[in-house]
Amino acid sequence: MVSPGLDLELSFSQAMQGFGLSPEVARLLWLPLPMLLVLVAAVVGVLVSVWLERKISAAVQQRVGPEYAGALGVLQPLADGLKLLVKEDIIPARADSILFTLGPILVVVPVIVSWLIIPFGQNLLISNVGVGIFLWISFSSVQPIGLLMSGYASNNKYSLLGGLRAAAQSISYEIPLALAVLAIVMMSNSLSTVDIVNQQTGAGILSWNIWRQPVGFLIFWICALAECERLPFDLPEAEEELVAGYQTEYAGMKFALFYLAGYINLVLSAVLVSVLYLGGWGFPIPVEWLAGWLHQPIDAPVVQVITGSVGIMMTILKAYLLVFVAILLRWTTPRVRIDQLLDLGWKFLLPLALVNLLVTAALKLAFPVAFGG
Amino acid sequence: MFGFLKQVGDYTRDAVDAARNLAQGFAVTFDHMQRRPVTVQYPYEKLIPSERYRGRIHYEFDKCIACEVCVRVCPINLPVVDWVMNKATKKKELRNYSIDFGVCIFCGNCVEYCPTNCLSMTEEYELAAFDRHSLNYDNVALGRLPTSVTTDPSVQPLRELVYLPAGEMDPHTVSADRPRAGKLPADVLETLAPVKDEGQSSKAVLKEDA
Repeated sequence: MVSPGLDLELSFSQAMQGFGLSPEVARLLWLPLPMLLVLVAAVVGVLVSVWLERKISAAVQQRVGPEYAGALGVLQPLADGLKLLVKEDIIPARADSILFTLGPILVVVPVIVSWLIIPFGQNLLISNVGVGIFLWISFSSVQPIGLLMSGYASNNKYSLLGGLRAAAQSISYEIPLALAVLAIVMMSNSLSTVDIVNQQTGAGILSWNIWRQPVGFLIFWICALAECERLPFDLPEAEEELVAGYQTEYAGMKFALFYLAGYINLVLSAVLVSVLYLGGWGFPIPVEWLAGWLHQPIDAPVVQVITGSVGIMMTILKAYLLVFVAILLRWTTPRVRIDQLLDLGWKFLLPLALVNLLVTAALKLAFPVAFGG
Repeated sequence: MFGFLKQVGDYTRDAVDAARNLAQGFAVTFDHMQRRPVTVQYPYEKLIPSERYRGRIHYEFDKCIACEVCVRVCPINLPVVDWVMNKATKKKELRNYSIDFGVCIFCGNCVEYCPTNCLSMTEEYELAAFDRHSLNYDNVALGRLPTSVTTDPSVQPLRELVYLPAGEMDPHTVSADRPRAGKLPADVLETLAPVKDEGQSSKAVLKEDA
């Protein structure tokens, strides 16, 4: 069923050995490549989603949006980033300068490290960690510490309130998120993202987890939006009430780190939703079937390259479809109050996620064929 | 037990209602995405100001008789009329006239009451300056005519909504020769019957059964 797929590392290693290098040196040369690639991919993903955000927001409000920086304003996010890069780096008087600097770093690093487990294909990921999805959940809970730190260190009441809100929100929504993931893990008998996707590739679109876990999908998506502080849940930086929350005192590159972290987190969450619920890199019709109908051997190099590209395309497509929904949601829903936010998290999503988990467990026992017995 | 079931039912109904409202909102925002932008791309496109637009005031020095009516009708006595009495001719001699547009509220009272029509309102509204003192226009600055939006080659003039043909919403797609909705002043004039001449031929009344 599951083909070995492309193994770029092996080909690279063989090519290097062809130049007369030892396998160890080849591995050492190989190691930074995927990391660099994923870092570049993450940053480009942020630029694209910032551009999308501005263009879609403009379209929803019947405006034009960025227009003159590059064709259709595609270079606008780059210009924004450049501006932040050359701005003065201000640390307010009487602020705790160490914590103030450490805050944004603690926010952005876990998000970038989480890209470790994002699969774009059978072997197209940095590391197939056994505890994959659990690693992401634990990394994402480092983030509120950074937010709280920067809010506290700013020596500003709005920042402190924003930081506290961010911490409260992250903690409340982490639990239903983890429970929703747990239901998926139970079905696929593995924490590894690759295994989770492989378990959904059997019958194309019909075998995607969204049909078996519709409630879990909704819970996960709501919680992911809350974790990213996207609009219905953007209380930590609610500009009308808290100026900009924990970001109030930040300028220049430190602000850019928050900005970057927010958008990387959005794209990351969207990719994870597609991995967990929408079949990851899987095409709606299994590529194996298509190859069979066209009488092509699945192991042929050309087919392998096509399969790999289709996988990457599908992952990006699904992720950006979800990013689009998130952006549209921003202009559709008003911001919830802090009590409504906590009510939704603790009194609605948490019991629902628990029931979902129990029902999944029961279904797994009752129908082991359909629910990964 | 029954009460608990009712609670669960109510809660579910609320959740379903919320989901339905959310879907309704999505339909609205999604629909708006495919509509044309309503914004005017300002330095490149400009709206044509309406006929009675009260912009920067134009002043003709040669027509002015230095009567100072404009000063008296101005809410804050803004126009500065600098004249001296010529003892020989026993006439006022106007030397300078200025209006400070940093203070003017563009009410148009001076224009309304000027006995010689030497004051008039233009369609100019781009008065931004680096120094507020440069907004104090003297009679030379007041005598300059503004560039019309319709004749400026670097600007695409757009008609305002009320000046578009009936049913049209987007000025970009309407050609300049299509008339506006409703009757033009000339058309209205035709519906007016002249009053029997009693020395005041310009007076007119509406037809009884028009």
